[in-house]
Amino acid sequence: MSYEAERKELSDAMVGCKVPAIQAAVNKAHDNGMPATEIINAMSAGMTEVGTLFERGRLFLPHVLSAAAGMKSAMDILGPELAANSEAASSRGTVVMGTVEGDVHDIGKSICSTMLQCAGFDVHDLGRDVPSQNFIDEVKGGCNYCGMSALMTTTMVVMKDIIETMKAEGIRDKVVVMVGGAPVTQAYCDKIGADIYGESASETTEKAKARA
Amino acid sequence: MTEYITRMGDGRTVTMTREQIYEDAMAGMADGADAAQVPSLSDEDIEQIVDIICNKNRIVAVERGHEVILTEDGGPHKFMLDSGSCCNGVEMGRIDVMETIERGIGFDTFELTTTDYSIKPVKPIVGPEMTAMQQAAMRLTVPCLYGAMPNMGLYYSPDGAHLNPADLMREFRIEEAQQNAEAAAEQLTRDIVYVSESMMSAGADGFNFDNTASAGDAEFVATLRGVEQLRKDYPGAYITMGMAAENVLGIHGEIEYDGQIVAGLYPNDQVKLCEKAGANIFGAVVNTNTSRSFAWNVARAATIVKDCVKNSNIPVHANMGMGVCGVPMLETPPIDCVTRASKIMAEVACVDGI
Amino acid sequence: MFVAHYMASGMGGLRTSGDLVARMQFTKKMRLNEAKEYVAKKLGVTTFEMSDEQIMRELREELRIGVVTGVPKAPRGISAKMNIEDLLGIKMNSCEFFRSLINKR
Repeated sequence: MSYEAERKELSDAMVGCKVPAIQAAVNKAHDNGMPATEIINAMSAGMTEVGTLFERGRLFLPHVLSAAAGMKSAMDILGPELAANSEAASSRGTVVMGTVEGDVHDIGKSICSTMLQCAGFDVHDLGRDVPSQNFIDEVKGGCNYCGMSALMTTTMVVMKDIIETMKAEGIRDKVVVMVGGAPVTQAYCDKIGADIYGESASETTEKAKARA
Repeated sequence: MTEYITRMGDGRTVTMTREQIYEDAMAGMADGADAAQVPSLSDEDIEQIVDIICNKNRIVAVERGHEVILTEDGGPHKFMLDSGSCCNGVEMGRIDVMETIERGIGFDTFELTTTDYSIKPVKPIVGPEMTAMQQAAMRLTVPCLYGAMPNMGLYYSPDGAHLNPADLMREFRIEEAQQNAEAAAEQLTRDIVYVSESMMSAGADGFNFDNTASAGDAEFVATLRGVEQLRKDYPGAYITMGMAAENVLGIHGEIEYDGQIVAGLYPNDQVKLCEKAGANIFGAVVNTNTSRSFAWNVARAATIVKDCVKNSNIPVHANMGMGVCGVPMLETPPIDCVTRASKIMAEVACVDGI
Repeated sequence: MFVAHYMASGMGGLRTSGDLVARMQFTKKMRLNEAKEYVAKKLGVTTFEMSDEQIMRELREELRIGVVTGVPKAPRGISAKMNIEDLLGIKMNSCEFFRSLINKR
C-alpha cells in the first residue's frame, strides 16, 4: 500500500503544530497498518516544512516546539514497533552543538539543535560561549557530528582552531563538522575544512540527514 | 555569448551571461515577493537592475540629482576596533573618528557609540558616555546621535537574570519561556528609556536603535515601548530604528504591540509599528543568501524594500552593510557590488536613505 | 564601505547639503524629495544644485553653516548648528542643550 492519504494527513498535522491532531493522525495511520518507519518519515517531511515556514516568519518557535512535541509523542506511541526494527529505532547520529567560545549568540544554534533533534539525531547542546576543549571532549566521547555556530567575524575564527585541534588529536575523520552563523559562508566552510555549511537551520538539518 | 563579471552572496567572483543574470534576478524577486507577501517589481525595474549589474565599469553611481541621505550605524568603533577579523584598528579618539567621517567621507549623520554597542553595558558607564556625548554635540555639525543595540540576549542567563527562552523551549517549557521573554523585555524597556534619555539630556540630537529584534519578537516589542516613552519625553528626538533581520523571529510567538502580534512581520509591516511608536527613520533589512548570486540577492532585496518604502509614512533607509540588502557577506565588501546595490536601492527601490 | 556608498549615492553631508536634508527627515519625518525641496527653497538653490560641491561650498561659507575645509573664523560644530536652526526654522536638541549650559542667553 502507498498510504498517500495517511502520509498527507501526517504532514499536514505536523504543519498544523497541534499535538492532539498529530497524535490522532499517528494513531489513524498506525491503525490503518502504515509501518512505523514510514509514519516517522512522513512526519520528518512535515517537520522540514515546519522549519522552512519558521524561517519565512509564517510559524514561530512555540509552533516548532509543538510539532516537535507531537513527534516525540509519536515516538512513544510507535516505540514497541520501532524497537522491533533496530535500524529504525537507532538515532541518525549523535551531534554536539554549541556557539564557539567568546560568542554569546545562540538563537540560531538553538533552533538548529531543535531541528536536528526532530530529525532523529541525539543532540548534546552545550549552549553558548563553549570552551573549545568541550567540543573535542564530546567528539572523543562518541559524537559523530560537531555543529559550531558563530555570529561574529571575530569569533568564527575559533571554528578553524577546533578543526585543527581535531586533526592534531587524530579525530577529524571520525566526525562530520558543520558550521553556521551570520558571517559564515560556504567559502569559509571550504577554507577551514569543515564538511557542512548551513545557510539556515533547516538546510543544515537536511545536509546532516543526507550524510547520516 | 558575452559574459559579465559579478559575484555570489559570499563575495566570490563568478561570470554570468545577461540571460543568467536576468533569470537570477527574476528568481530573487519571486522569492522576495513570496517571503514578504509583496508585489513583484515591474519589468522596467528588473531590466534596470540587470543593466546596472551588467555595467562593465568597476563602480557605478546614481545619476546626478538622485543622491540619497547616508546615515550610519556602528559609530566610530568600526574604525577604531581591531578585533580579530573586523574593523580597521586605527588607534584614535572617538570624536576624532566622527570628525573624520563628517569632513572626510561626507556622511550626512553620525553617531557616538561605545565598544559593547549594547544598551545594557552603557548603563554602568552612562556618566562618562554623557560627557563624551556633550563633547561630540559641540564639535560635530552633522546630526549627531547616540547609538546602541537593544541586544536582549544580554538579559538572559548566563549574562542576565532571566532564563533563556530558546533553551526552555527545547525542553518544551513553552509558557515559562514566554514569561521569561516578557520579563526580560520589561527590563530592557526600562534600560532603553534610562540610557536614551540620559543621552538626550547630554545634547544628543537623537538615538539610533540598531539591530533591533536580534533576540526576536519580545525584543522588538521592548524597543517599540522604549521608543514610545522616549518620544513622549523628548518630542524633538531624532529616532532611528534599524532592524536585525528581514523578518521578526517568533521566539515568543504571541507577544503584541498595539494589539498586533509582531512575530513574522516583514519590513512593510515593521515600519508601521516603528512609526506608531515614534521613530523618525526606519532601517529596513533584507538578509543576503550567501549561496545565491548578487543578482538574486539584490533583486530580492529591492522587491521587499520597494514595497516598504511605498507604504511608509516615514523615511526608509536601507541597511547596506555586509550581508544585507544585496551586499555580499564579507568583512571587506567588494565595491563593485556595494556601489551597484547602493544605486539599485536608490533608483529602483527608491529609498530615502542608506 | 563608507566611501563606496558615498561615491555611489551619497548626498555629501557637509560637503554639500546632506546634513540639512537629513535634519528635515528627522525633524519633520519628511520623505527624501520633500526634504530636498524644503532645504533647496531655504538655500535658494534647485534640488539639483544642492548636491553640487562647487555651488554648496561657497553658499555654506556665506550662510555660516559649516564647511569641511579649514576656513579661519568660519563657524563649525555648535555655532554652525545654531545658524542651521535659523536657516531651516527648526530647533535642535544639541543647541537647546548648549543654550541651557550658558548663563547669558
